[in-house]
Amino acid sequence: MTEELQEITLTVNGRRHVLAVQPRRLLVDVLRDDLGLPGTHIGCEHGVCGTCTVLLDDASVRACITLAVQADGRSVRTVEGLADGMRLHPLQEEFWDKQGLQCGYCTPGMLMRAVEILEQVPDPTPDQVREGIASNLCRCTGYQYIVEAVLAAAPRMRSENPWDPTVPTEAKA
Amino acid sequence: MTTTARPPAPPVRSHPENRKWVGKSIRRVEDPKFLRGRGGYIADLVRPGTLHAAVLRSPHAHARIVSIDTDAAAALDGVYAVVTGAQAAELTEPLPDFGPDPAKHTWRCLAVDKVRYVGEGVAVVVADDRYLAEDALALIDVDYDPLPPVVDPERALDAGAPLVHEALGSNLAYERTFDFGDVDADFAAADLVVRDRLRWHRSGGQPLETVGAIADFDPSTGQLTAHTNSLSFTSYLFMVANTLRIPANKLDIHQVPAGGSFGSKLFVTKPLVLAAMCSRLVGRPVVYLEDRVDNISNCDHHGSDRVYDVRLAVTRDGRIRGIDIDTVDDYGAYIQFGVGHHGNALAQVTGPYTIDSVRYRVRAALTNKNQQGAYRGFGSEVNNWMLEQMVDKAARELGMDPVQIRRRNFIRPDQFPYFIPTGNVYDSGNYDAVLDQALEIGEYDRWRAEQTQAREEGRYLGVGLIAAQERSVFSATEFWFWFDEPGAPVTSMPESVTLNVDATGGITATLYSCAFWGNSPETMVAQLVAEEFDCDPHDVSIIYHGSQGGLPATGPGGSRTTVMLAGAVEGASAKIKRKARRAASELMEVDPDDLEWFDGGYQVRGVPEQRKTLGDIAIALHLFKHSFPEDVESGLEESQVFDHPYTTMPSADRKDLGVFYPFMGHACHVPVVEVDIATGEVRILAYAAVHDCGTLVNPRSLAGHIVGGTAQGIGTALYEEFVYDDTGQLITSSFLDYSIPTAMEVPHLRIGHVETPSPYTPHGIKGGGEGGRMMAPAALNAAVNDALAPLGVRVTELPMTPDRLRAAIRAAGVVTGGR
Amino acid sequence: MKPPPFRYSSPTTVADAVALLAEHAADDARVLAGGQSLVPLMNFRLAQPGHVIDLRRVAGLDTIRLAGGELVIGAMVRQATAERSPEVALAAPLLAEALGHVAHPPIRNSGTVVGSIAHADPAAELPAVALAMDAELTAVGPGGERRITAADFFQGPFTTALGADEILTEVRFRSFPGGHAFVEFSRTHGNFAVVAVAVLVALADGRITRSAIAASGLGGTPLRLTAAEQAWEGSTAGSAAIDAAVDAGTAGLDPAGDLHAGSATRIDIARSCLREALERATERALDRR
Repeated sequence: MTEELQEITLTVNGRRHVLAVQPRRLLVDVLRDDLGLPGTHIGCEHGVCGTCTVLLDDASVRACITLAVQADGRSVRTVEGLADGMRLHPLQEEFWDKQGLQCGYCTPGMLMRAVEILEQVPDPTPDQVREGIASNLCRCTGYQYIVEAVLAAAPRMRSENPWDPTVPTEAKA
Repeated sequence: MTTTARPPAPPVRSHPENRKWVGKSIRRVEDPKFLRGRGGYIADLVRPGTLHAAVLRSPHAHARIVSIDTDAAAALDGVYAVVTGAQAAELTEPLPDFGPDPAKHTWRCLAVDKVRYVGEGVAVVVADDRYLAEDALALIDVDYDPLPPVVDPERALDAGAPLVHEALGSNLAYERTFDFGDVDADFAAADLVVRDRLRWHRSGGQPLETVGAIADFDPSTGQLTAHTNSLSFTSYLFMVANTLRIPANKLDIHQVPAGGSFGSKLFVTKPLVLAAMCSRLVGRPVVYLEDRVDNISNCDHHGSDRVYDVRLAVTRDGRIRGIDIDTVDDYGAYIQFGVGHHGNALAQVTGPYTIDSVRYRVRAALTNKNQQGAYRGFGSEVNNWMLEQMVDKAARELGMDPVQIRRRNFIRPDQFPYFIPTGNVYDSGNYDAVLDQALEIGEYDRWRAEQTQAREEGRYLGVGLIAAQERSVFSATEFWFWFDEPGAPVTSMPESVTLNVDATGGITATLYSCAFWGNSPETMVAQLVAEEFDCDPHDVSIIYHGSQGGLPATGPGGSRTTVMLAGAVEGASAKIKRKARRAASELMEVDPDDLEWFDGGYQVRGVPEQRKTLGDIAIALHLFKHSFPEDVESGLEESQVFDHPYTTMPSADRKDLGVFYPFMGHACHVPVVEVDIATGEVRILAYAAVHDCGTLVNPRSLAGHIVGGTAQGIGTALYEEFVYDDTGQLITSSFLDYSIPTAMEVPHLRIGHVETPSPYTPHGIKGGGEGGRMMAPAALNAAVNDALAPLGVRVTELPMTPDRLRAAIRAAGVVTGGR
Repeated sequence: MKPPPFRYSSPTTVADAVALLAEHAADDARVLAGGQSLVPLMNFRLAQPGHVIDLRRVAGLDTIRLAGGELVIGAMVRQATAERSPEVALAAPLLAEALGHVAHPPIRNSGTVVGSIAHADPAAELPAVALAMDAELTAVGPGGERRITAADFFQGPFTTALGADEILTEVRFRSFPGGHAFVEFSRTHGNFAVVAVAVLVALADGRITRSAIAASGLGGTPLRLTAAEQAWEGSTAGSAAIDAAVDAGTAGLDPAGDLHAGSATRIDIARSCLREALERATERALDRR
C-alpha cells in the first residue's frame, strides 16, 4: 500500500521542524531516526513500560503508542532538552548523586515523567513521587533511589535558581 | 564430611587500611551520558543505510515445517533478502552450545525441519527499515504440520511422550545423582525427616532494552565487525566465528552498553549470528534488534523452572544433618548452558549451615518452551528458596523459632574457610552478625508483636526471615564436572586490564570484556585505579577494547566482575609502579629501595620534598627514553591478565567437586507482609535486607543492586511468570500479561551491610550483584507462609498469585466472606 | 513491532469524518481519538485498518459541559482532563474516581474517555462506570445522530452497538445524587483490572432508596449487578444490607478465568471489591446528608 506522506510540524525542545512522515510512523521513531534524538528509548512498543516517555505539550505520553501525526503542531520535550550545555538539569544532577539509575535505559523516560510530576506538584510527598513514577518501569533500581532523587530535586526546582549549585564531584553518600 | 585431600588454598592476603576511594559512594563515572540520553546503546548506533532484520516466529509449540513460501515477501519493495531456516543452515553452523551432547539437540539460529516452541524463528527478512521488514514477515506463508506438544516437565520424561528432539531418543537431556558425604547414615540417624514438594515456575530478566547486534561484513577482507549489547565470554568468541564459518581473527566484536541484562544478555549469540549472516548475504550492514515479543518468547534466557522433591534429616534439637534433593528442571527446547544452573546450586547447596551430607539428583527435561539461560542467580536462587522453605518447615514441625533453628545450624566465624560437602569452599563469613543486624533494622520483635495483635483482629500479617548465601566468582568447572568424560583442566575464566599513563600522568584503563550491564565496571575500575594512584576516580578514562586482538577476558556473570577486575587492576598497577619506581630512582639518582609511594608519586623515604609525581615520571618515560638504561622502553603502559584466584579440580569420582565458587557472600532478609485471605493479595508492609559481600567498593552501588535485585525477587515471588498453557501456547508474550513490579509493588528497603573481607581477593572484595534476587523469593514465601500459619496453610509454589494463594486457602477449608 | 501501513485523514468536522468513514468502509477504516488502545493493537498488528480517521482536528469534540443535569464529555476529551475537571468532580465523582485507576497518567494524558468506552475492553474501568451511570453515547452516522444507552452499547468483548459507519461524538452522564465508590483489584499498579466495581447509592432516612452497581472483569461485557441492587434497596444501610447485596450480586456469576485469576478467584475478588465499594459508597452517602 502506498501511504501518502503527511507534512507535520513538531516543535522539539524549542526547535521547529517541518517533516514529511508516513502516517504509520511512531513518534519515538521520528524523534530518534528523523530528528537524530536517540535519548528517547524503545522498551516494549505497546505502551506499558514508559521507557519512551516524552512530554507532549507539557504532558507525558508514551511515544511508542503515539503516531507522529498525532503530535502535529504540538511541542515535544525530550531528555535532550533538559541539560543546559555543560550544566545538568537539577533532576539529572540528583539522579546522578543518588544513583537513581543503573543501566540508564529507563532514565530518559523516568526523567521526563519526573519533570511533569514536579511541574504539577512542586512539593510532593514520598508517596506522591512513588505513585507518580509507577507509570514507568525500571528493572534495575527497585525505584528507591529514583524516589530519593526526585524528592531531592524538588526543593531545588522550587528555588529561585535551580541551576545554580556547583556540583561536588563526590556524592553525599 | 569428606576427607578428600585438597590442594592448598591461595595465600591469605592482608588488606590495606585507610583506603581513600574503595568504600566510598562516589557518583558513577558512567552516568552523565545516560542522564543526557547519550548512552550509545545498540539502537543508537544504527546509521543511515543500515538494513533492518526481523524474524518470523513460530505460532506453534511443536510442528513440522512442511514448506515455506517466501516469494511474496521477497518481492516487496525495499526487501533485500528472505532467509528460511533451511537456507540459514546452509550458511551457518549450529550456535555455540555448552550443553550435554549438542549433536543430539542441535540448536541453530532459525528452526530447520520443525519448530520446537512458540516464538522460535523460522525465517528472517532484511529490509530498508523495520516497518518494511515486518510488512514482509506478514507475507511469508509457512505450512506447518502440528505435532503434539510436550509442556509439563515431568510428563516429558514419561515413556511415550512426544519427542522434542528425535535424535536424543527421549526428553531427558541429562540425569545424574551425586552423593556428597554419608547421606544414608545421616538420614538413618535423624529424629525427623521433613519432606516437601516444591514448584518454582519460570520468569526472566526482561531488561527494558532487548538484545541486538549490528553486523558489517567486509567481503574484501573477510572481516566481520559487529557491535552488540551482549559481549561476554569473550574468550569463547571463536565459537561464534565457527558458527559463521569465518576465521576467529577476522571477527571483531565491540561492546556497547546494555540497557539491563540481569543475566539475560550473557553470551547471546543468536541475534549476532542472524545479523552477521544477513550482512554477509546482502553485502550491507544489518541490524537485528529483538522486539519485546521476540525477547520474551525467543530470548533463550528464561530462568529456572523446577520441581523439587526434598527430604531433610534433622535431629530433635534442630540440627540439620543431611539433605536429599530430587529435582526435575524444565530446560525448554534446547540446553545451551547444560545444567550449570545446578552447579550454581551445588556451590551453596547447604546454605549457611553445617549440613554434613547431600544427595542431589537432577534431571534436565526438554519441553516445547523457550530454553533456559541466565537470570540473576543462575539457579542458586532457586536452591536458596528450596532450602529456606525446608528449614522453615523443619522449624514448624519441631516447634522451633525460625531464628533459633538458623542460629543452631550456622557455620561459625572460626570455621572458615569451610568446605561444604560438595567440595566447594566458603572463604569467610559471620552469619550471626548479619542476622543480628537484620533483626534490628527489620524491627523483628516489634513486628512479631504487631503480628500478634493483627491476628486478634483477624488480619494475616507474616514476618519472613531467611539467611542464605550469595556465591560469587565462578570457575567454569561447574559447567563440566557433571560428566566423567571428557575431563578438562581447570578453566580459569580470566579478566584483563591495561593501564596506560600518558605523558601528563593521566590514566586510561582498557577493559577487554566487561560489558556495561547497569553494573558499574567503569566506576569500579576508576575507584580501584584511584586507590592505587591517589587520583580522582572521575579523572580516570575507561575504554573498551574490541574482541579482535584483545587480551583474555570473560565478562560479567556469576557476580565476578568486581573481584576479577580488582585483581587485574591490582596486577597492572603493581607493574606500572614497578617501572615508575625505577624511573623515579633514575631521575632522582637514588636507590629504588629508598623510595616510597606517597600521594601520587615516589618520594625518598624521610625526605618528602625530594619526590617525583606520576606525571613527572610519565613525561620522562614518554619523551626522554634515553635518560634511562637500555632495557627501559618508552611509555608507561602495563597489562594484567587476572585468572580465577581459587579454583581446584573435581575428584575423579565426582564425590568432591573441588572449589568452584569460593567467595561466599551472605544475606538475611526480613520482609513483613499482609495477606488478604479473601483475594489472595499480598502486600509488603516493610522490608529489611542485610548483606555481607566482603569489602565494599561503592556502598551506594551495592545498595542499588540489593534494592533492584530484591525488586526482581518480588516479581519472581508474586507477579512474574512465563506461562505456557497446556497446548504450549505462551500466554504471557508481552508486558500486558507479564507483570513487572512498579514502584508501588516495591517497598522502601532498609539496608544494612556487614563487611567480612575475603582472605583471598584484592581488598577482600566479594561479588554482590545478584544477592537481592537470590534472597527475596525465599524471604517473601517465608513471610506469606508465616502469615497463613494460623490457617495451617503453606504455599509451596512460586509465583504466589491470587489463584495459587486462594487455592491453598480453599484447600485448607477456610471460608472467607469476601473481606 | 510497528504498525502496518494505512492511509490517513484528519478531517475538521464530524460530517467530514462520517463521510470519510463511509467512503473507506471497504478499507476497514478506523477512528483514532487518543490512540491508547488502537495504536498498541496496530503495533501488534492485531488491528490492520486500511484507513485511519484522526479526530484531533475536529472542532468541538474536546469540551466538557454540564447541560440540563447531564455531564457531556466530547470524544476528544482526554482522560486526564476529565480527571481534573471540576464539572466531572461535581456531576460524576464516580467517573473521577474511576479515571484515577485507568492505566497511568501518561496514558490518561492521551487516552480519551469516549475512546475507552468505545474500545469496550471487558477489563476496563470506564465501561463499568458508563453502565452504572446509565450513560448515553451519541453516535453520528450517515443517517444522522442517535443516542445509545450504555446498557445497549456493550455487546461482547471489544464489541459494541456502534455501527461500522458511525462515530461516537460524546458521552452523557446523568448526575446521581448520593454516595459513590469505585474499587478495583489489579495485579500491579495501573494494570488492567482483574475485577472493578462501580457503585452509586442514594439514601433516605437511613434506608437505601436507589442504587446502581456495575462491574468489569466478570464477563465479556461490563455487568450491571441488578440482583445486588435489588437485594439491598429498601433495607437499612449497614452490614446486613451489604452482606445481602454481596451475596446476591455474586450469586450465579460464572466469569471466564484467565491468566490473572481463574473463575473461582475472580468471584472471590469480586466479593471483596463489591463489599468495599458498597461500604465506601454507603459511607459517602451518609456523609452527604
